[in-house]
Amino acid sequence: MANIERRDFLKLVGAGGIGAGAGFMLSESTKHPLEYLVPYAVPPEEFSSGIATWYNSVCSMCSAGCGITVRTREGRAKKIEGNPAHPVSQGAVCALGQAGLQALYNPDRLTGPLVQNAERGSAGFVKTTWDEALGRVGETLSALKAAGQGDRICLLTEGVGGHLAELFERFMAELGADRLLHYEFAHPQTLYAANQRLFGETRLPYYDLQNADYVISFGADYLSTWISPVHHSLGFGRSRHARPDARGYFVQVEPRMSVSGAAADEWLAAAPGTEGLFALAIARHLVEKRYRGADRDAWAAALDRYTPASVAEAVDLPAARIERVAQKFAASKASLAIGGGTACSHTNAVATLVAVNALNYLVGNLGKPGGVVFNPEPAVGRDTQARHATYRAMRELADAARAGKIDVLIVNNTNPLFTLPDAAEFAAALQEIPLIVSLSSFPDETTAMADVILPSHTYLESWGDHSPEPGVGFPVGAVSQPVVSPLYNTRATGDIVLALARQVGLDEALPWPSMEDYLRDSWRTIHAQVSGGTEGFDTFWRDILRAGVWGEDTGRDHASVSVSRNVIASIDVGEPEFAGAEETYPFVLYPYESNALRDGRGANLPWLQELPDAMTSIVYGSWIELNPQTAAQLGVKEGDVLDVESPYGKIAAPVYVYPAIRPDVIAIPIGQGHTEYGRYARNRGVNPIRILAPQMEPETGALAWSATRVKLTRTGRHVELVKTGGESRELGRDIVQIASSTPAQGEARSVALQSTRLRSIPITVEPT
Amino acid sequence: MSFIDQFAEQWQAYRKPGYYDKFDYAWTMTIDLDRCTGCEACVTACQAENNLPIVGEEEIAKGRTMHWIRIERYWEGEYPDIKLRFIPMLCQQCDAAPCETVCPVSATYHNQDGLNAQVYNRCIGTRACAVYCPYEVRYFNYQTHHWDTPLDQQLNPDVTVREKGVMEKCTFCIQRIRLAKDTAKDDGRRRVRDGEVQPACVQTCPTEALVFGDRQDPDSAVAKQLNDPRAYRVLEELNTAPSVVYLKKVEVDAGAR
Repeated sequence: MANIERRDFLKLVGAGGIGAGAGFMLSESTKHPLEYLVPYAVPPEEFSSGIATWYNSVCSMCSAGCGITVRTREGRAKKIEGNPAHPVSQGAVCALGQAGLQALYNPDRLTGPLVQNAERGSAGFVKTTWDEALGRVGETLSALKAAGQGDRICLLTEGVGGHLAELFERFMAELGADRLLHYEFAHPQTLYAANQRLFGETRLPYYDLQNADYVISFGADYLSTWISPVHHSLGFGRSRHARPDARGYFVQVEPRMSVSGAAADEWLAAAPGTEGLFALAIARHLVEKRYRGADRDAWAAALDRYTPASVAEAVDLPAARIERVAQKFAASKASLAIGGGTACSHTNAVATLVAVNALNYLVGNLGKPGGVVFNPEPAVGRDTQARHATYRAMRELADAARAGKIDVLIVNNTNPLFTLPDAAEFAAALQEIPLIVSLSSFPDETTAMADVILPSHTYLESWGDHSPEPGVGFPVGAVSQPVVSPLYNTRATGDIVLALARQVGLDEALPWPSMEDYLRDSWRTIHAQVSGGTEGFDTFWRDILRAGVWGEDTGRDHASVSVSRNVIASIDVGEPEFAGAEETYPFVLYPYESNALRDGRGANLPWLQELPDAMTSIVYGSWIELNPQTAAQLGVKEGDVLDVESPYGKIAAPVYVYPAIRPDVIAIPIGQGHTEYGRYARNRGVNPIRILAPQMEPETGALAWSATRVKLTRTGRHVELVKTGGESRELGRDIVQIASSTPAQGEARSVALQSTRLRSIPITVEPT
Repeated sequence: MSFIDQFAEQWQAYRKPGYYDKFDYAWTMTIDLDRCTGCEACVTACQAENNLPIVGEEEIAKGRTMHWIRIERYWEGEYPDIKLRFIPMLCQQCDAAPCETVCPVSATYHNQDGLNAQVYNRCIGTRACAVYCPYEVRYFNYQTHHWDTPLDQQLNPDVTVREKGVMEKCTFCIQRIRLAKDTAKDDGRRRVRDGEVQPACVQTCPTEALVFGDRQDPDSAVAKQLNDPRAYRVLEELNTAPSVVYLKKVEVDAGAR
C-alpha cells in the first residue's frame, strides 16, 4: 500500500468514475427535465467564474461612514473588508460592519411593497405593486401639496448624509414641508451644543488620538460605540505602539467599565454626573501650572473653587488621585480630553462637555498633533446637524400628531418605537396619524405600525455617497455603489423618493430618473471644481468608483479660538438631576449601547446575536450588571431574575455580577428586547430604554438617558445565563502576561523560535 | 528497511523542531495585547470568511460554540482597582502540536508551511485532538448546521462547509494563503510578498493588534515583532512551539499612577 504510484491511484479513481458513469446511463430514463447548470454562458462584464470581484463602497451600519471593499463571487457578496484608501477605516472594520452581509441576505427582509389591510399593527399586510403603493402615498401627498398643507407631512429618517440628505431636503422643500427630522438614538446632540458654546464650531472636531500621549475620556466608549469607533481604535493602537519613544496613556472616567475602560491604563469610577466636576478640577490645575493665555485671570476666577479636595466628595474619588491625574494631564506633551456616551447623558451634559472641552483649550492642543482638529465643510452634501431630532423634537412631533396636525409620516429606516422611552407615548401618537409609510428594509417595530411599506434596498444594493461626520480633519467624500444586483422587489431609498416626486408632479424640480443619475449629476459639480476640466467626467467618475473615496488633504487654517469671557465666567457643571427619589429608587440605571447590537439595529443579525458580549461573554440575551457588593447585599447571584422598576415602568432580567461597576449603579445593555424585527431579534431579552424617565438636558432637549433611578426586587426566578466564557480569573496560569512598563530597547531579547527550541523536548518514536 | 522503520524515521524527523524551517514559509501571527481592546471584529470576520455556522442559543448553553478565534477575558483585582484583560485565542499552529500525534486517522497533520492543517474528509470525529489541545481551540460539529435562506448565499465558495461529526479549527485562512501563492506564481515571483496575504481576523483588526506573515523573511513585519522584548508564548512550558506569539500587555504599577 505504501508503494502505490500516483499513476495507479489515478487509474483506480478513473475506474470509479466509469462506474459512476454507468449508473448515470441507467438513470437516464428517470431523469428530471432539462436544467441549465451554467447560467452565465455569456457572463456579464467584470465577471469571471471562480475569480472574486471587489467593489469599494461605504458602510452604512452606523453613521461613522467607514470605507469598505466588498468581495463578490459569481454575483454574490461574500465578505466585507475595510477600504485601505479610506481615511476613516484605513482597511479595518468593526464587528457590526462585518455583519452587513447578514443585513443584505437577511431571511426576514421585506421583499416587496405591502399595504396594511386590517387593523394597524396587526399581521394584515398584503402584497401589492409598486405602482399601487406609490400611487396611494402620492395621492395623499399631492392633495396636501395642492392644499398648501405641506406642514402636515413629516419625513423621519435615520441619520443620513451626502446627496441623499440633500434629496430629502429638496423633496420636502418642493412639497412645502419643513418637518424633516433625522433621528438617531445616540446622536451626540450635547457634544454639538458644547462645541458651539465654547469654540463656536457647528461641526464635531477630529480627535487626533494617534499622536496623543495622555488621553482622558469622560464616559465616551470611543473604542466600541462612540461616534467613529473604528477610527478611534486605529488611533488608540498607534498611540500605544507605533511610535518608537512614546506610549499613549489612557484614562477612562465612568461609573461602569466599558470596552474603552478595560483598554485604558486607569479606570476611575466617578459618581454618575460628576464627570464635569472632575474636569473642572483638572482645568483649575492647568490654569495654575500651565496655561499662560491672555484670559488666564478670567479662567482663574471662574475655576478657583474647584480644588481637588472640594470636588473629591461629590466625585467620590480620593483628592490625591484627582490631583495626580491633573498633574499628569498638565505635564504630558500631547494631552487630549474627550467626553460623551452614556456618562455624559445627564441633565447637565452640555455643561459637563463644555468643561471637558475647556481642558483641550487650556492645555493648548487645538489644531495641534495629538489634539483637537476642527473640521472643514463636508466634501459632499451638507451639514445635517440642524435637522437632527432631539428627544424634545420627537415629543413635539408626538404632540403634533396627537393634535391631529400630521397627515402623513414617512419613516426611513429609523425605529423610534424601539429607541424612545415608553414615557414618550410615541406609539399612541402614531395611532393619530392617518397615513404612515415605512421605507425600511426590515419589519421593525415602527414598520409594523405602517399602513404602506415601500421597502428599500440595503446599502449593498444602493447608490449613494457620504462625507464622514465628524471628518478626519480634511474634506473626504466617498461613493457607495451597489455590489450585487437587488435581491428582491425593493428599491433604493433615493429612487423611492424620486418616484414619489413624480407622483406628486415634481418632474421639473426633481427630473432625475434614478438616484444614480442624481448622484452623477451632483458629482459633475464636484468634478468641475476639482479637476478644472483636465480630465473628462467619465474618467473621473470611474476613478472615484474604483477608489471608493476621494479627498484632499488641504487641511484648514486654524484661526486661534478665543473663548468669550461670559462663557468662562459661567462655567459650572451644576448638579445632575435624577428621576425618582433616592429612598425609593436606590440605584442609578446605566443603560449602555451594546458593542455589537448598538442601539438595537444589530439584533436581527445572527452573527451579532451569537457574538459574545465584549465584557461578559453573554450571548442572545439581556442581563443586569451588579457590583459584587450590591449582589451580596441583595442576596442574589448570577442568573437570579430581578425586577427593575423606575417611576416609569418595570422590566425583568437576570443578574450578572460585574466586578467593575459602582455599587450604587446598575447597568443594562441596550440592543435586545425587540417585539418585532425578525426571527433572530424578536422576544429576546429586555429593552432598558422603555423604563427611562423623560429627563432632558434643558438646553438641547436631548434625552438624559443616564438620569433614571430604579429599585430592584427579587422575583424568585432563576435562569442560566448563556455565555461562552469559562473561569473569569487567571488562577496563576499566566495566560495574559504583563510587562510592568515597556522595557528599554537595549534589553531586547529574541523570543523567537531559537530560544524555545533549545528548551523543547523532541518527541521521538522508538523503532521497533 | 521495513515500512515501519521508514515511517518511524520520517516521523522522528518531522517531529523535531526546526524541521519546518527548511521549507519556503513559516507563517506566524503576533498579537499585541497592549493594543487589543476585545472589540471582537476578528470574531465576526472569521465567521464570515470561514463559513462558521450559527449554532443557536441551546447549543451554546451546552458549550458547543463555533468561533475559531475567540476573546478570553480575565478579571484581575477587586473594585475599584480592577482590570479586565483580553486575549484573542485561536489555533496556535504549534510546530510540535499535541493534536497531531493523537489523531488515529491523521486527519490533522502539519503541512510544509508549518500550518496545522485539518482534512475534513478524513476526520472520523473521535474528538481526541480537542482533548489533547491545551489551548482548547478545536471545535466539533455536533450537528449538521443549516443557514436560513438566503443567508447561505453569503457562504464563501473557497471554504468547505463542514458536516456533523467533523472537527474544525482555525486554518490561518489557508485559502487566502493558497491564492496568494498562486498569484505570486502567475506573476513569475518565487515568493509571496510580505503583507500580500492576511487572514480575515488580521485584515479587519481596528487597532492593528494582529500581524501576520512569514518569519523566515527577516524583513517581514511579523519577524520584527518577534524581536520585541514583550514577545511571549501562551503556555510556553508545554513546548508546543506555537506559531502565534503574543506581545505582553503593558500595565503601569499602581504606585506609579
